[in-house]
Amino acid sequence: MRKGAPFDLDAVRTHLATEEGARLWRSLEELSDAPEVRRYIEAEFPDIVQAASIDRRTLLRLMSASLALGGLAACNGSEAGKNAPLLSQSRNMPGYTPGVPLTVATSMPLNGYGRGVLVRTQEGRPIKVEGNPLHPASLGATDVFAQAEILSLYDPDRSDTPLQNGAPRSWEELTNFIRPVRNELVVGEGRGLHILMPPTSSPTLHRLMAQARQLFPFAQWHLFSPVDDDNRRIAATAVFGRDLDFVYDLTQADIIVTLGGDLFAEEPGHLRYAADYQTRRRMQDRPLPGLYAVEARLSLVGARADQRIPLRPRDFEDFVQVLAAALGVGSAPSSAPHPSVSKLADELRRAGARSIVVAGREQPARVHALVHAINARLGAFGTTIRAIDPVRPVSADTGTLVDLAEAIESGGVSRLVVLGGNPVYTAPADIDLASLVRRVPLSLHLGQHRDETAVVCQWHIPELHPLESWGDLRAFDGTVGLRQPVAMPLKPGLSQEEFLGLLAGQGPDGRALVQATWHEAWGEGFEERWARSLEGGVIEGSASPLVALTDRFDVAAELEARTNSAGIDVVFAPDPSVWDGSYANNGWLQELPKPLTKLVWGNAALIAPETAAIFGLSSGDAIDLTVEGRAIRAPVWILPGHAPGAVTLTLGYGRQRAGRIGNGIGFDAYAVRPSRQPWIASGEIRKPGERIPLISTQQHHSLQGRDIVRVVAPGQSAVGESPEHSSLYPEWPYEGHAWGMAIDLDACIGCNACVIACQAENNIAVVGPEEVAKGREMHWLRVDRYHAGDPANPGTYFQPVPCMHCEKAPCEVVCPVNATVHSSEGLNDMVYNRCIGTRTCSNNCPYKVRRFNFLDYQGTDYTASPDAMNPQVTVRDRGVMEKCTYCVQRIGAARADARVEDRPLRDGEVTTACQQSCPTQAIVFGDVNDPGSAVSRLKQSPRNYALLGNLNTKPRTTYLARVEPSRENG
Amino acid sequence: MAQLFTPAATTLFRVAIVLMGLGAVSAGVLAYGWARSGSTWNVGKPAAQPIPFRHDLHSGSLGIDCRYCHSTVERAADAGMPSAQTCMSCHSQVWVGASVLDPVRSSFILGQPIQWASVHRLPDHAYFHHAVHVTKGVGCETCHGRVDQTPKTVKTQTMSMGWCLDCHRNPVPHLRPREAVFAMGYEPHGRDLPEDVRTFYQEASRRLTSCNTCHR
Repeated sequence: MRKGAPFDLDAVRTHLATEEGARLWRSLEELSDAPEVRRYIEAEFPDIVQAASIDRRTLLRLMSASLALGGLAACNGSEAGKNAPLLSQSRNMPGYTPGVPLTVATSMPLNGYGRGVLVRTQEGRPIKVEGNPLHPASLGATDVFAQAEILSLYDPDRSDTPLQNGAPRSWEELTNFIRPVRNELVVGEGRGLHILMPPTSSPTLHRLMAQARQLFPFAQWHLFSPVDDDNRRIAATAVFGRDLDFVYDLTQADIIVTLGGDLFAEEPGHLRYAADYQTRRRMQDRPLPGLYAVEARLSLVGARADQRIPLRPRDFEDFVQVLAAALGVGSAPSSAPHPSVSKLADELRRAGARSIVVAGREQPARVHALVHAINARLGAFGTTIRAIDPVRPVSADTGTLVDLAEAIESGGVSRLVVLGGNPVYTAPADIDLASLVRRVPLSLHLGQHRDETAVVCQWHIPELHPLESWGDLRAFDGTVGLRQPVAMPLKPGLSQEEFLGLLAGQGPDGRALVQATWHEAWGEGFEERWARSLEGGVIEGSASPLVALTDRFDVAAELEARTNSAGIDVVFAPDPSVWDGSYANNGWLQELPKPLTKLVWGNAALIAPETAAIFGLSSGDAIDLTVEGRAIRAPVWILPGHAPGAVTLTLGYGRQRAGRIGNGIGFDAYAVRPSRQPWIASGEIRKPGERIPLISTQQHHSLQGRDIVRVVAPGQSAVGESPEHSSLYPEWPYEGHAWGMAIDLDACIGCNACVIACQAENNIAVVGPEEVAKGREMHWLRVDRYHAGDPANPGTYFQPVPCMHCEKAPCEVVCPVNATVHSSEGLNDMVYNRCIGTRTCSNNCPYKVRRFNFLDYQGTDYTASPDAMNPQVTVRDRGVMEKCTYCVQRIGAARADARVEDRPLRDGEVTTACQQSCPTQAIVFGDVNDPGSAVSRLKQSPRNYALLGNLNTKPRTTYLARVEPSRENG
Repeated sequence: MAQLFTPAATTLFRVAIVLMGLGAVSAGVLAYGWARSGSTWNVGKPAAQPIPFRHDLHSGSLGIDCRYCHSTVERAADAGMPSAQTCMSCHSQVWVGASVLDPVRSSFILGQPIQWASVHRLPDHAYFHHAVHVTKGVGCETCHGRVDQTPKTVKTQTMSMGWCLDCHRNPVPHLRPREAVFAMGYEPHGRDLPEDVRTFYQEASRRLTSCNTCHR
């Protein structure tokens, strides 16, 4: 789109109408044939041409200087023996072999829920997070946040000393200060003490909280999380008379209807739900399940859905009410029903008990109550939905953040403890927590960073990272996973458990505190069970039991109805990269292209193409958004498929005290978030006529060709053409293994876990916003997002693209120094030491999967700590080409193990990092020379096709076409 | 105008051209020889070590098996360095008061590792796996020489990439039967191998010389 030219929806639609067939498009700019887009298709690095405007003499000078300096650089006087000594350990350590990585099972928190992980450590340094196959919330997969915790652990901005009013204090000084305060509180039975913490599922924390309550009966506890489930709690309490959590079994479902939210990205069981949905799709004996997504903004579940219904947030209540009435629950409102409702109702009625209706956490309580009624009418409770006791229980006398603000206002708070979280930043806009906290005579903050909350509290205590401390966490279904430290604390600190232990007089030993909880629960046989639970990472049989439901479903009418005011609907959502802002200082996540917008290093106000056309906006235009009298300026991003009349703001950006990476990026959506309607509010848009640059990678590495993503009807073949072309190059002989990969586009949900997993495994550099804007991101694996059809509600397809490891690789034949060569097992090897950086290979790669180190990216502020690097992978330097290696280090390790044990490599023994992290098992890797291997069987599928196969590159990575039943009709 | 060059200038110029040519060739020959000479690769040069440990004494005279100290050589990439505890299993009985063993005792007591200077350190981009070599018949001696006769640990091979490839291209003449891997002074390389092993390695040379066998 020409800079500043308003978006013209009609022109795009006319353009689409002239196209034949279903054309795939990456961006609206592409549809309007903007010159910007052509640049990216024609050249891989369009900005390089501008960068190289050097005259002949300067070029000669530079060349001679680099030759001379290059010679100097070769004079390396260091002695390898001294720089890298051989170490004799002091003692023999059973179970530990120097140089051999150790894997430890633990649990990672996200929004208070646990996901089981296995952490690989090298010499006591955690270097990689994998999913724990035994854990119900993981099943061996991870999400982007779990993967990126490695970088957060080594974050140089983590706080390391206690602070009093910003001045560093020793731990002794802290203790000397705290002890009399605590004694005084014990005497006063906690009068005036208020404790604010995020909701948690940890049994140990709940035990310690209960003990602290006994010691301080007058203390008031407040729970606050910016990503709260309050509406769900209100609805469950109204309908069932008690708070409940619901666990969905997608393997049993024939019809799934989601109303807002994102079942595959934002729910506590999102990894499991994505896996289960795919398991259900793979069941050969049952017809494909139907997935319907009613939503305001395009989400991962919406992108995967068979039918997507974009709906303005304020229309959800009517929609659900009509749907419920069509199914015989309650009465329909007078307004005209949505045209899709009757079809949806028919589908649900046909599936009966084998259906699930889920509402997102942002939906009002009335929607949730109606959804419960629909599910009950369909008989879904007990078959596809399990009701369990809340995993993060909230006792009745617990206050909220609003209560805390009122208490401070009335002067009733003399001692405030902020236990984790960053409420000063995440608090809604109408609660000025910063000035309120300053009014408290004594405030204390426990947190990992000197963040917005730390600076307003009198005392700040460094908190340990979850990978450094003991604890326990419940998963979405109640299963308990123990959290054990995988590294000695890199910086001194306390965990929440240890702090509460001290407060409750239980001592500061995290391990003893967690053991005490389970000793109490298990009694006899504790030692053996503890050891087994630590090893597996899961406490067996700890999933919450089913709760018998006593309902009164007609309560929806009693719940407060939404009052619709004029203006545009403003929806708040956790960010796919930084969640609620707690990951803002993580370079991996900041540089991770968001699944649908492909935005990096920032956020945007997401609007529909229709809305953009009405307001005359284009992506990157600033808007002034006013909600309840408070205004922010934000850039807009036109998101195809977004509901008109609404704007989505993702949380977590615009931070002032995140650290060296996260400061001042994007805009702060909390600044307009009202506490009364924290999820869906109303606002006004004004156009100040300014532009705020946004960085999106959606055009980077554009492919040119037909049938990039193929879609077939069930049982249909993906290959129409691709006759065997003859080649001038000789065939490669493969006596042993021949590695190959198959990527199932029907399974890929675009969650990006593979991208981060690859980055962590292969020491991939973070390049920073300026470099990404030039198209120089280093990700070896990218996930391309394509749309098809009308921008108002397009189809969405994801395609992960690693190196194809072509049999007839175009890169190999053009390298002047033989730096990229074919291995005996068919890998396209990249020899870094030979590479002189001509970039000819990249120029000749039709898939644009080669990445070049234009600058010394491993020597910047964005660089991960050397301790976080995988020692099995070379760290590449400036001027060197790099690309996906099929995780050759993992192949090498598995082969060495097999050779040492004198046995052949087994299928499945080599898993690539991307494959391992994938929740839906969309990526399968193995030996294509072995006809029985999983990858060979997939490649036999009629859905198998080669990307740009007509080029006769014979790629080893092939794709399995996506399956869409609607294709049968046309 | 007088002639700028005398008749002798032509001869001089010819001689100069020949000399320059000879110079360039001999510089090339010298560089070739230098890059391949043992001293360039520190062959035979001992490093300063914290303890004057003698392999000839321990391995040669006392006949301690290599694996007593380098205990992970048969199962891991690193051969493994003995812990101070391993040293102390003997040295709590013999040479109890020797001052040269102070670093061992202090390591054992204080829990600090002993830092040896590595003599055989490969560059970071070369990934070597001891166990694979040892279990497939590459003797210790093949790379490390007659350790049982060396007082101070030194390199006996260049450990250059060319030297690695000499073997990877055709391993059979350098391989030993499994029972002779830890032997010193074993002569008839390759001849005692069973026939199937010999054919395996003849076919495997393409795999063994793929870049990703050693580099990642």
